[in-house]
Amino acid sequence: MNRILTDPAGRLPLEEPRWRRLSRAEIEQFVRALQSAFEVVGVQEQGRRLTLARLEDPAALILEFAPQLHSPKKFLFPNWEKLFRFRLGGGVLLEPERAATPRVIFGMHPCDLHAVQVLDNCLFEGEADSAYRAKREVTILIGVDCVPDGHCFCTSMGTDRVAEGFDLFLHRLDGGSYLVQTGSRRGEALLCHYAPLVGARPGEPPLPLQVKQCPTRLDLPLESLAPLLEKVYEHPVWEEVGARCLGCGACTMLCPTCYCFNVEDRLDLNLAGGERVRTWDSCQFDQFTKVADGPEFRGNQGDRQRHRFFRKYKYLWDKYQRTACVGCGRCSRECLSRIEPVPLLNRLFAEQARPAPSLSPGAEYRPQLAEILYVAQLTETEKLFRLRLPQPIEFQPGEFLEISVFGLGEAPFTIASAPVAGAEVDVVVRAAGTLTQAMHRLKPGDTVGVRGPFGNGFPLEQFAGRDVLLVAGGMGLITLRSLLLGILARRERFGRVLLLYGARSVGHYLFRDELLAWHRGGELDCRFAAGQGENPWTVTRGDITHLFKDLDVVAERTSAAVSGPARMYRSLNPLLFRLGIAEDRLFLNLERHMKCGLGKCGKCRINDICVCESGPIFPYARVKHLKEAIER
Amino acid sequence: MKPRVGFFDFTCCEGCQLTILNLEEEFLELLELVEIVEFREILQAPAAALDIAFVEGSIAGPEEAARLRRIRERSRTLVALGACADNAGVNALSHFRAPEELGESAFGRVVEGIEERLPRPLECFVAVDARVPGCPIDGREFLGLLQALLVGRAPELPAYAVCVECKLGEYPCTFEQGTVCLGPVTRAGCNALCIAGGDRCRGCRGLVDNPRSQPYRQILEQHGLTVEDILAEFRIFNLPPEKS
Repeated sequence: MNRILTDPAGRLPLEEPRWRRLSRAEIEQFVRALQSAFEVVGVQEQGRRLTLARLEDPAALILEFAPQLHSPKKFLFPNWEKLFRFRLGGGVLLEPERAATPRVIFGMHPCDLHAVQVLDNCLFEGEADSAYRAKREVTILIGVDCVPDGHCFCTSMGTDRVAEGFDLFLHRLDGGSYLVQTGSRRGEALLCHYAPLVGARPGEPPLPLQVKQCPTRLDLPLESLAPLLEKVYEHPVWEEVGARCLGCGACTMLCPTCYCFNVEDRLDLNLAGGERVRTWDSCQFDQFTKVADGPEFRGNQGDRQRHRFFRKYKYLWDKYQRTACVGCGRCSRECLSRIEPVPLLNRLFAEQARPAPSLSPGAEYRPQLAEILYVAQLTETEKLFRLRLPQPIEFQPGEFLEISVFGLGEAPFTIASAPVAGAEVDVVVRAAGTLTQAMHRLKPGDTVGVRGPFGNGFPLEQFAGRDVLLVAGGMGLITLRSLLLGILARRERFGRVLLLYGARSVGHYLFRDELLAWHRGGELDCRFAAGQGENPWTVTRGDITHLFKDLDVVAERTSAAVSGPARMYRSLNPLLFRLGIAEDRLFLNLERHMKCGLGKCGKCRINDICVCESGPIFPYARVKHLKEAIER
Repeated sequence: MKPRVGFFDFTCCEGCQLTILNLEEEFLELLELVEIVEFREILQAPAAALDIAFVEGSIAGPEEAARLRRIRERSRTLVALGACADNAGVNALSHFRAPEELGESAFGRVVEGIEERLPRPLECFVAVDARVPGCPIDGREFLGLLQALLVGRAPELPAYAVCVECKLGEYPCTFEQGTVCLGPVTRAGCNALCIAGGDRCRGCRGLVDNPRSQPYRQILEQHGLTVEDILAEFRIFNLPPEKS
């Protein structure tokens, strides 16, 4: 026995697993032989129920059992575990740990074998938990096939069968005998030593994998669970679940992979010594997250349930690419309030899922036709187009449209007009490539293709009641014009409004008439800079940073919106922070080539952020960690 | 000098003190640690000052209240022993009947001196430092509390519900058998004794600190109980706050 358990390679899988036939009588003989050297635990009837417990009579061993049964966790990571004994008085004395009991768990369903691998992941990581390791190393795991019930969803979790992590596995054959599959070197040694007749038997061909049917199924693949949860942290479902939850912790007590624990000292009656024990604890309990002299940081039951789901399906998946749920169904089987993972996850998935497969594939890429109402030449190279869309839209300043000229393609253009609901919008187009040059040739009455609006713009509400500093470089003014028109439409809601605008030359200024009108109107304070060329307006010479000299803003009540080429942010942001603008009060326009607008094509992805989905307008705090956003 | 300990009883069945005597060997070991100076079940003469007074029973009349106050005055620590002392226990069911009706049902006649709003728990009359809940108490929990008091550790009761111990004991859920159970809202510490014995939990240990009453009520309603049934179930051992 000792040699079997102490072989350092004992738990390694066999290079060629062997399959041998054995009868029920031989199984019982095998158990009896094992009992000479191991404590054998198996499923048996006790009182009114089935339980996994120490087996006295091999004939009592049940190998075909329903999954409604506590998991083998109680033997590998028991609820009550002495860590060490201590004595008090005359110096503290810690007694050494005693060796763990060599044990055979005879009959574990595949899901529970998977659960042991989860425990291994969690408890062996870093400083390995030696109390668990001691038990794990001297515990032989013998698997057995199961028949799922209505709560099982192992087929969705990929845990209905198991390829490794067991020493032996019993497959039931028609007619009452079994095929035993060896899964480890020590499993093979065990069989040869304690069931020599079976061990000497010639191998048989492996069984074809059996297909199991669970009526409870996830509608989404396992790999999608973590990304799904990522999106639903703030979802109201957690509050709903919290309102139904009794906080009884049955879900975690019964879970074969939950291992959170408490540690406490239990004194002997004579107070001369005692033991430090660990007992199961639960994230669902009051006081689990209690901090000395403070409140619980996860006191709300909805937050506690969310934590359980995130631990099971996201956090450990992110770490080990293995969910901490094995689909055994114990949590839903035991929950009086019927908090069940599969319907909950399916519901979240259904809400998140895109509309059902379209009958016209590619519809989301199909533009609608918009009529050009009006064209104005803004500069030598830029024209303003007023479009009439087939139906009214609502948008925030900073959102964009995808505009196509059929035959030449499609490109994103920021909406330059005021953020009011309607069917007429302005865009500004600089003639640069073939598409934009073609657009410049269009006249009122012509049509273009339009999709959108897309993206997320400036949160106008967050600017209300505050001073607003707008900083535009070159074509960046297009976006800020929309914001500015939105502000001017309800001017009384905002404090002081200051516009800083810089371009290569005064000739490159967009919306010149409006700039002059704004400047003269007194509703906002406009300051202009130009690097070169004639200077009919006698603006500040140099780039836009020159406008920051002697700039008088009250930083604590100022929100800033900045829009310009990426290189502009590198020099501007430090100036803004020197003024004292808060990171979450600074909004940047990070437009990239947002080719599809649907978060798919990847062309506008800055590190891990998709500009068309999350932007193009971002609070600085959200993007400051992105190396590609501002550094380049 | 060993700490001096006394046991006292008011309106009760004295079952909690019997539970302590039934600890037998552990009770004898206990005597190594403390000196029991008053215990009507085994001793006669009263003593002076006490380190710890264990008080069983609820307070059913003014003379009981006065005696309790005198015990409080001469005890450093006062512990409510058992459900009657802790929350008035089954005695408090009398709150829901008129005094005449009570006299009639117990003695066959109207009895003078049955007061309304009595019996009540100890804490309605004196400061209670610690408590051992249950009807009767759990002997081990009593020992644990005594140890905590002796080593100067704040005594703690489980903050979780009986369901936890029921699951750990692998007992089939009483709800599954169509029986309603107070386990989900009742403080653990009894090792789900009643459920192990085939009964349901009737809540003798009192509610957990934070009972999830709303979801629990929904579950009871799903099992066909009305609000009146639910209250009757609660009242067996849990005196509603407005009555105490």
